[in-house]
Amino acid sequence: MVPESPEQNGSHSFPVGGGETGRLIRSFDWSKTPLGPLSTWPQSLRTVTGMLLLSPVPIVLLWGEDGIMIYNDAYSVFAGKRHPQLLGSKVREGWDEIADFNDNVMKVGLAGGTLAYENQQLSLIRQGKPEPVWMNLDYSPVLDESGKPGGVIAIVVETTQTVLAQQQLRESEERFRALTNATSDVVYRFSADWKEMQQLDGRGFLEDTDNPRIAWQEDYLYPEDRPKIQAAIDESIRTKSTFQIEHRVRKIDGSTGWTQSRAVPIVDDDGEVIEWFGTATDVTSRRRNEEHLRLVVHELNHRVKNNLAMTQAIAARTFRDVTDMKEAQAAFGARMVALGHANDLLTGERWVGASLKGAIEQAVKPHCPDESRCQIEGVEDVQLSPKTALALTLAMHEMSTNAFKYGAWSNADGKVNVSWRRYKGEGGEKRLQIVWEEIDGPVVTVPAKRGFGSVLVERGLSREMGGEAKMEFLPQGLVCTIDAPEDPYAGR
Amino acid sequence: MGSRVLVVEDEMTIALLIEDMLVEMGHVVVDLAMRLPQAEELARKAEFDVAVLDVNLDGRRSFPVADILRERGIPFVFATGYGASGVDPTYAHSPIVTKPFVIDELKTAIEGLVGVDPGR
Repeated sequence: MVPESPEQNGSHSFPVGGGETGRLIRSFDWSKTPLGPLSTWPQSLRTVTGMLLLSPVPIVLLWGEDGIMIYNDAYSVFAGKRHPQLLGSKVREGWDEIADFNDNVMKVGLAGGTLAYENQQLSLIRQGKPEPVWMNLDYSPVLDESGKPGGVIAIVVETTQTVLAQQQLRESEERFRALTNATSDVVYRFSADWKEMQQLDGRGFLEDTDNPRIAWQEDYLYPEDRPKIQAAIDESIRTKSTFQIEHRVRKIDGSTGWTQSRAVPIVDDDGEVIEWFGTATDVTSRRRNEEHLRLVVHELNHRVKNNLAMTQAIAARTFRDVTDMKEAQAAFGARMVALGHANDLLTGERWVGASLKGAIEQAVKPHCPDESRCQIEGVEDVQLSPKTALALTLAMHEMSTNAFKYGAWSNADGKVNVSWRRYKGEGGEKRLQIVWEEIDGPVVTVPAKRGFGSVLVERGLSREMGGEAKMEFLPQGLVCTIDAPEDPYAGR
Repeated sequence: MGSRVLVVEDEMTIALLIEDMLVEMGHVVVDLAMRLPQAEELARKAEFDVAVLDVNLDGRRSFPVADILRERGIPFVFATGYGASGVDPTYAHSPIVTKPFVIDELKTAIEGLVGVDPGR
């Protein structure tokens, strides 16, 4: 409070104190009002005036039938530019824009009644133009010396800021609701320390949380992922900055999903985080595709290397002890083609396996001079593992080229029969027998040196299939028998 | 005298190549395993001085075989198309030849394990 100057604070002077408005009241020419000079005021008016001037709450006294206005500093702030003209004016004229309202106040008050309004909206002109103003208003009568209401006292507390803030909040909540309804993402709220999930709208992806949930990590996350997610949370809390992480979640159906989660801190006026608000996008299918692609690339890289190693192996075999380079080159080219075809065969089956019939046909048919000279038959087809199919294709290619160069296909009418059968072994196990038989070819002599074909069959395919391979160079034609368990690695 | 070698390789042609390389180096191939269970059995029971170990055996990793070999104190070299990144960290210090490889790479790796044969 500003101390009063001595001359204005003299004991003879009324009213005492009251700051700026007190001074104005003391110097005002009240004789021009129905109240008359200060010295003639009745005690009741003097008492109430003295009292309101000492109050920090905005108070206005409306005295007499006209409601002559006497108020304090706090009210003068509320009145804006209408002060000081309002002082000593008739309330219906002073606030002419709300004359009707005040007319009712005066009538009720002077009749001994009270009025109370909460967040009453009135349009007032305080800064040169009309503006909506909200107030809590309490009116009560003030009795004069005769014991009847001589005036009305009003406590005026402006609530415009609060009302507008609430209104903005409501609108913002409406927008927020519209946004959360518009997005297909999961929407969630967390306490400032992330210890409590306050709400989560799971959108059919995650389980909903309607009431605060403490054990949210147990419910939504996998134990092994929690340290990493907690670390991201801790970092966001520490820096009060956006939380963002992609992590696994337990989906509402119990399966594992992936989500991209992003939350922003909501802060109060002091900059303290009140809560975290975030969204979580279901990125499960993208993650699955990425993972699949990663595996495919990794596997492809491995297969490329493996195929190069196989090429290297075939080259090494083809070009060792070469006497005729041209012939070796041609053989190598044909082997590469066979390897390429074998890959096609496997790709057609997506590398999960191939049929025995398909593998044999693909390797043998291209070399056969005439369809009538090649018979491929089996009671039923058998599925082979990719590796076995590949090995069989390469072996059959060698058998075919040998038949063309030296065997049944090297004369005019020799034939090749390739057949297979499934049968039960002595222990009841399923076995597979493949027989390559050449007939009507030139007379066969046992070769002095084993070629690549023999090596592939006897040392390669037999072991690949976990069985036995036998090459019989009978005079009437070569017979090659491969006998192996159908599933060589079952139970081992 | 060369070493007795166990070859673990699931690709027929590559197995033949490795065998040919080993024979050329003067070693003896005691056996070839083309799948994991077979490889584990041979790793446990066969008598040999060193092993050449493919990492991927028809889709299964061969590290259980490496475990057995380590337990028996038998040295081995990985032969893999995956390169070093495809090897379990436990075996980060084991020698690796990346497919495709030439005979000298395999020779160096095996000599690093069993020493240079003084007879050659």
